[in-house]
Amino acid sequence: MTTLRLLRLYIRLLGAHMRSLLEYENDFWIMMAGTVLMQVVNVAFLAAIFAKVPAINGWSFWAVVAMFAMVAIAEGVGSLFFEGMWNLAWQINQADLDYMLVRPYPIVLQVSSMQIGINGLSNIVTGGIMLGAALTHIDAHWTPARVVLGIVVLLSAIVIKVAINLATNAASFWMQSPSPLFAFAVHQAGDLARFPLSVYPLALKATLGFALPFAFVSFFPVSYILGHGSAWVGLLTPLVAVYCVAVAAWVFKRGLRRYESSGS
Amino acid sequence: MKGLTGYRAYRAHARAAALSALAYRGSFLLALGGVAFQLIALLAVWRVLLGNGDAGSIGGFDWPHMRSYLLVAFATGALVGGFVDFRMSHRIRSGLVSLDLVKPVDYQRARLWECIGGVWIEAVVIVAVAGLAVLFTGPPQLPAAPEFGLFAVSMVALVPLKFVVSYLTTLACFWTENFVGVLWARQALTGLLSGALVPLAFFPGWLATAAQWSPFAGLTSTPALIFIGQATGRHALLLVAAQLGWLTLLWFAARALFDRALRRLTVHGG
Repeated sequence: MTTLRLLRLYIRLLGAHMRSLLEYENDFWIMMAGTVLMQVVNVAFLAAIFAKVPAINGWSFWAVVAMFAMVAIAEGVGSLFFEGMWNLAWQINQADLDYMLVRPYPIVLQVSSMQIGINGLSNIVTGGIMLGAALTHIDAHWTPARVVLGIVVLLSAIVIKVAINLATNAASFWMQSPSPLFAFAVHQAGDLARFPLSVYPLALKATLGFALPFAFVSFFPVSYILGHGSAWVGLLTPLVAVYCVAVAAWVFKRGLRRYESSGS
Repeated sequence: MKGLTGYRAYRAHARAAALSALAYRGSFLLALGGVAFQLIALLAVWRVLLGNGDAGSIGGFDWPHMRSYLLVAFATGALVGGFVDFRMSHRIRSGLVSLDLVKPVDYQRARLWECIGGVWIEAVVIVAVAGLAVLFTGPPQLPAAPEFGLFAVSMVALVPLKFVVSYLTTLACFWTENFVGVLWARQALTGLLSGALVPLAFFPGWLATAAQWSPFAGLTSTPALIFIGQATGRHALLLVAAQLGWLTLLWFAARALFDRALRRLTVHGG
């Protein structure tokens, strides 16, 4: 199967879910309103703090808004395009994965396209607006090379978030729970990365920088784009993304080998 | 159903909810995880901003006060987690609520008691986390005796108040299939207006005043301000009175809304 065909089928799989979601139009708007409100509250919260202080450890209001925005965008992409990953634990528990094993399409893509999280759409849009506003308020020195590298770094950051989602959800192959508790706990820890990494004690810095590299979803990419702090670390983001995808794919493959169906 | 038999029926609801929370302890604890990570992040940020005690104060808060404030905010955030509203929303949307309706207990009171059943487990977690936080950042200053009494009253009143705010929003399930959107909107609004994210004093004056006398202040700001000694004497008394007033008002508003909601209920099946 060519990549193009894989992609076309993926879009069609998601499209089917999208159509069924849009059947409930009011619910759609309630979801949009709920998620937009969450981001508005985030910005209001930051504005309230920064009304009294000029910076957090040298990071300005707009820099922190950009970090919040990156987490929102990465989460949004995860929800909108790969929400099915969160269903993996249930599929394993119920042995529903059997159906996917016999279909001629990569299992991991079948899993991730099993659902659509429409909240992702509003998170991408509001996150994008926040990031755009932040970028217009910081005086970065833009050269064509920096623009290209910046885009690569931001895209890599999103890939890292999705890869962490996949790896932690694939841990469900080893845990028998029908809900992805571990993955969700890790996901919640990811919210720590919305603040500059430097505020945390060393143990947390190490965790967010290496073990669960959430700092590469928001803090390091933003510091590269701002050219502030240890900006060069941000350039490592694509490498971290490759590493995360490799680990996630390996965990998923190993997990799939453990899959025992329903055993009856 | 008056007297002892009635009370026993509600106690049974509390016990069942506690057992179910223990059986699904993973999801139960996870619901507290979000609040715990928020505590870690906010403690870290404010420790930097307030320079561990030698950088003076911001917005009337120095480090020891802010630290205590955040601890109380964590406690109020952890109490009455989403355990009951998720169950309730599911039962409304699936129609199972009809089985609750035929039971000879008051629907709203039964749900409150289910909440109370989970509270003691949450309290254990709160004590553990607060103990850890005190271990890492030092012991908090306790308020004087009368204020401490008011703080205790406020924390107790918080349980039914937080319940009734959740209950009111969960009733939206009679009108919409999408509970998550409603839940997120509520969490966002209450997080901001209750002072759980940042003390209300940091808001512009009009918003701070409005939030302080809104039902949401009773969810975090009131007990937290009393605990750190920023609200004392008459002011503290007024805040707790407002909290109790809102509790009464919302309790009866919820009853009225429930009566309307029931008219929307369609249950299929033979």
